[in-house]
Amino acid sequence: MNTREAKEILQLYRRPVDDANPQFREALTHAQRDPELAEWLQEQTRCYDAIRAKLRGVEPPIDLPQKIIRTRPIPFARRWNEILKLAAAIFLSASITAIGFKLSEHKRRSIPQGQEITVKGEVLDMTCYIAYNLSGPEHASCARDCIRSGLPVGIKTENGKVYLLTGNAGKPVNTELADYAAKVVIIKGKKSIRDGFAQLQVEEIRKF
Amino acid sequence: MSVDLEFEKLVKLYYRDLYRFGFSLTGSEADAADLTQETFYIWANKGDQLNNPRSVKGWLFTTLHREFLKICRRRKRFADEPIEENTYDLADVPVDCVNRIDSRTLVRMLTEIDEDFRAPLVLYYMEDFSYKQIADVLAVPLGTVQSRIARAKIQLLRRLSETNPPRPK
Repeated sequence: MNTREAKEILQLYRRPVDDANPQFREALTHAQRDPELAEWLQEQTRCYDAIRAKLRGVEPPIDLPQKIIRTRPIPFARRWNEILKLAAAIFLSASITAIGFKLSEHKRRSIPQGQEITVKGEVLDMTCYIAYNLSGPEHASCARDCIRSGLPVGIKTENGKVYLLTGNAGKPVNTELADYAAKVVIIKGKKSIRDGFAQLQVEEIRKF
Repeated sequence: MSVDLEFEKLVKLYYRDLYRFGFSLTGSEADAADLTQETFYIWANKGDQLNNPRSVKGWLFTTLHREFLKICRRRKRFADEPIEENTYDLADVPVDCVNRIDSRTLVRMLTEIDEDFRAPLVLYYMEDFSYKQIADVLAVPLGTVQSRIARAKIQLLRRLSETNPPRPK
């Protein structure tokens, strides 16, 4: 290393901040052997200290800290665990409230609606009709078997409305209707509708 | 310790250093005070995200520098001309030259240096940051920081010797 190279390195040297920095070690050793370089380094260091002292001599306005403290925003610590817990609690509470509403609504509406109507239509095996859209004379045999075996029975009226058919007090009417599977009949009964599903509690069956 | 007391303690510990940094970057007392205030304001909102409490000082300096860069971008008043490449032409400035000027003149000279070079130079002189810490604060590579400091220092020393020539011995 020559003097020029050492100077290049030492122009960034600050005592004592950079004393532990290995990049300056060799150049410092060189300066110890070269009196001219050592003198230059000493002047550099004095100059550095003088500039540092000037810059650090700048004093802020006296009222600045109070101004900062006064205008500090209201702290809002973002503790994500607590925020998540709060969100879960709100969600749970909202769900319970919704279920409560649903239950009370269910109770309100479970009062028998009981409007007596008479409808004319085809007797359906509800399972095949809903799942596979099967009805009509081609499906009569299957429908009869399904109704006999106890699967739900229904009626599709001329205007396309479908009712689930039940007997009095929840008793089935499968036996009575099995022989009319896929045939048109006239049924008189009490209508109930809930959540879009219509049911007819059969009181009278007439052949068409 | 309450959050308020912690905040006050932090302000009293660092507001001077931050103000000086801001003043050396902007050359304006009002801008320096605004930058310092803004830095603590951001700390109050986001400081809890800092994982390592020992890096608070670096975080505050980084934040102030970022805010300063935002101001620069808004004002667009800084030239993009880089400092001359000749890093070997070391200006030998006797300490006498520095002693004869006041702090404000020195800060004015600093503000004439391109911003990219000014911030590392100010940290080099004012704070006891290692080069690695300066690089972290300014989010630039270590080699870039050293090169910028070297070039900016030459610029400053030249200005010092030009505007305030050494007295004949």
